[in-house]
Amino acid sequence: MSAYFPGFSASGLLPAVSPDPLPFTLMSNETTKIPVCPVSELGPGERKIIEHEGEYLAVLNCAGQLFGIEDRCSHDDGPLAEGEIDQEACTVECPRHGSLFDLRTGKPKTLPAYQPVKVFPVEVIDDTIILEV
Amino acid sequence: MATAEVLAEKEKVQGINADYEEKFGFHDPETGYAYKAPKGLTREIVEQISEYKNEPDWMREFRLKALEIFESKPTPQWGADLDQIDFDDIHYFVRASEKVSQDWSEVPEDIKNTFDRLGIPEAEQKFLSGVGAQYESEVVYHQVNEKLEAQGVIFMDMDTALREHEDIVKEYFSTIIPASDNKLAALNSAVWSGGSFVYVPKGVKVEMPLQAYFRINTENMGQFERTLIIAEDDSDVHYIEGCTAPTYSTDSLHSAVVEIVCKPGSRVRYTTVQNWSQNVYNLVTKRAVAQERATMEWVDCNLGSKITMKYPSIYLLGEGAHGEVLSIAFAGEGQHQDAGAKIIHGAPNTTSSVFSKSISKDGGRSTYRGLLEVADGATGTRSKVVCDALLLDEESQSDTYPTIRIGESDADMGHEATVSKVGDDMLFYLQSRGLSEEDASKMIVNGFIEPVTKELPMEYAVELNRLIELQMEGSIG
Repeated sequence: MSAYFPGFSASGLLPAVSPDPLPFTLMSNETTKIPVCPVSELGPGERKIIEHEGEYLAVLNCAGQLFGIEDRCSHDDGPLAEGEIDQEACTVECPRHGSLFDLRTGKPKTLPAYQPVKVFPVEVIDDTIILEV
Repeated sequence: MATAEVLAEKEKVQGINADYEEKFGFHDPETGYAYKAPKGLTREIVEQISEYKNEPDWMREFRLKALEIFESKPTPQWGADLDQIDFDDIHYFVRASEKVSQDWSEVPEDIKNTFDRLGIPEAEQKFLSGVGAQYESEVVYHQVNEKLEAQGVIFMDMDTALREHEDIVKEYFSTIIPASDNKLAALNSAVWSGGSFVYVPKGVKVEMPLQAYFRINTENMGQFERTLIIAEDDSDVHYIEGCTAPTYSTDSLHSAVVEIVCKPGSRVRYTTVQNWSQNVYNLVTKRAVAQERATMEWVDCNLGSKITMKYPSIYLLGEGAHGEVLSIAFAGEGQHQDAGAKIIHGAPNTTSSVFSKSISKDGGRSTYRGLLEVADGATGTRSKVVCDALLLDEESQSDTYPTIRIGESDADMGHEATVSKVGDDMLFYLQSRGLSEEDASKMIVNGFIEPVTKELPMEYAVELNRLIELQMEGSIG
């Protein structure tokens, strides 16, 4: 595993799932909790995109598990979260050029993207989905 | 060169100049074809292709999804003019033979004669480790050296690879170039057929090149081969492809996808001598990923076709990886060679070089379109891009569109571009040494492309020089 680009492993083609801490969580200890929507509004295979301080973020429901990612493909900065969700593989596909991103880690599994996107913790409090940014 | 030698060489060249029409431009009758899909692209055609090939469900679904992507994406407007392509006037699948033969004598007579004329069996015996010959949509002949097979090297056509090595194919297929990458990659993904699959195990060095030869025979035909090369750790392989087609008055389409994975410490060289007839649109997506200490080299010679759009890419994603692109484009009358290279430095201490040479004559247009990107965190990278264009007359055109994005301040990047004309002073100097104007011009062109031809195996360098001389015939005056 490259120490510089945790998205890419030396042996697998693109990426291996890694338990490494995410770059975002290393960068800041201050977090903001953003209510997204009632949990009942986000079924499996669905997504909710929100805007927070000028950035687009998304919560995706993958087979009942909730994942928070930035809504930006690292390849060309276009929107990512509206792409197809593969609930079995736990990936979202960039709708423009087809890179697959692992929702658990934010790492790309296929080119042309080669850098990870940010991921955020998600929790449910009182039936409301909360994104921790 | 002495005058007598020049004359002898000129005679030889004129012998070759029995021209493209005779050497490559002929076509065979289509009698005995196993299947020819009607023109046009529909869901039914895609399903038929998959069914004919008896593919697993995941591949059929992949094709159908790719068809939707193809239909949803607009034709690119940023490069060469592709608006003349009528996607409904193309045969997307033509099966000339029922099977892939390993014995040359089993190849159907007409097809065998074609490849005999193109010199394929002879080349195989002389200096190749393995050869594949694709005729229309599918590979009709494939052979690999027994010694390589014993070392675990797999070299076969993609259709067979999908049947016999489905697990490896599934792991890598479309991970380098997804169907959504661009409209033509989506088209290839929907209707791909043939192409090569190369797998080189860890530590194996393939000493002699592997070659594939692609031939279109049918008028209004689309050829969509798909090639996947996987070089395991510390392995080494050189793959060469050549392509020709008959000369027709209507257009054909060639849209390939080539994906290459260079694992740590491996080296892959991919050489193309593209000599399609001038009624072929050649729209190809080629991309490689180089992991730690790996080396990827594209040697790309574009001589034929009506329009070529091709930008071999290398993603340097492991520390110490190295990428090289050596490219020649020759644009004659009615041709537009829109070629280039993309290098992405995605890891520290990666190095690259792009060396592009283009020659334009008789109103031809050559374009260099390149991307050089250094990602944040990719410290200590070095890259050099050199694009040289040679214009042989006033009507011809050369354009350069380099894009450079640098994310690290210590990156060492160089970009040089020159445009030169064959000047009267050069011609006068050579003519004063006894050469005719035509021979002098050829000599200048040969000297111009020499940095690339010297990287080719000798047989190909000779062939390339002759092809260029062939293209040069009658260019002076």
